[in-house]
Amino acid sequence: MSYLTLFLGLIGLFSAFLFFYLLKFKASSKQTNRGNRIRWNSYIPYKDKKPNKGKKKS
Amino acid sequence: MSQHQALNKLGRSGNPIIRSIAFQDKVSSSEEKMSLEGAVNKTSIMLFLTVMTATISWNFQGPLMSIISMLGALAGFISGIMTFGFYFFFVGWIVKPRPHNAPRTAPIYAIGMGFIIGIISQQAESFFPGIVIQAVSLTFFVATSLLLAYKTGLIRPTQNFMLMIFAATMGIFLTYIASLIYSLFTGNHFLVITGNGNMSILFSVAVVCIAALNLVLDFDIIEQSAEQGAPKYMEWFGAMALMATLIWLYIEILRLLMKLRSR
Repeated sequence: MSYLTLFLGLIGLFSAFLFFYLLKFKASSKQTNRGNRIRWNSYIPYKDKKPNKGKKKS
Repeated sequence: MSQHQALNKLGRSGNPIIRSIAFQDKVSSSEEKMSLEGAVNKTSIMLFLTVMTATISWNFQGPLMSIISMLGALAGFISGIMTFGFYFFFVGWIVKPRPHNAPRTAPIYAIGMGFIIGIISQQAESFFPGIVIQAVSLTFFVATSLLLAYKTGLIRPTQNFMLMIFAATMGIFLTYIASLIYSLFTGNHFLVITGNGNMSILFSVAVVCIAALNLVLDFDIIEQSAEQGAPKYMEWFGAMALMATLIWLYIEILRLLMKLRSR
């Protein structure tokens, strides 16, 4: 194994841990408090389809 | 009153349809809500499943594993369409997105794609030793850098940004489809995809950039859905979108490294 591969492997390991660690945090207000955000709920219709298969009929 | 509070109070759009109740952000309080932590956990589960099946197909090569990998890729593709839908230029949505399918389709997608990734990686490693570690590391390095840029507000995805990335992604998809059709008649793929010339490397760099920028959209979907209290199944949807982009990014980085090493 070359030194480059070893070096990149260590960077990758560190990056993977950092990736999952950072993903848990909320984005800064600079990101969230702006008027030109993409309105995802108009593209991904999560309000229209609700998984209610488990509901019993009365 | 801050700008954000004012926008929340008055609505972000003057359009009465957009301001109507159908587009209100909150879901009913009785439903379980999505959280950032839940999305991270689901992404970890999916990554674990992908790595596990990739390890299996890497170690047990043979005709049977090739068939299993092909079926896995097909299952992954169908799962992707069942969740994200299928959009085509000028036609519109051929299959509409169904995020509520994600809790069932996401694990199938992760397992299926793991099998095909294992085979591709093993083939690449046999030609260029050490290339897989380099590709995996670069994938996570790029993903973490973009996540940091997104969380700090350095990159701010807007409607125009999304349209640009979407058009570029569709363009790449169409190029791959055209190359596939061309290869059915001539037996050769487009040189810009498979060759190792300057143009081919430039094309790969561009594809890696587009794949990486798709990650920003995935981060925004997860962040916004959690912020708006989307239903719990959106955790699986966000995780699946993120994994799909990470897998694509990994394959493109692997392809770019192979081109560079074969020169």
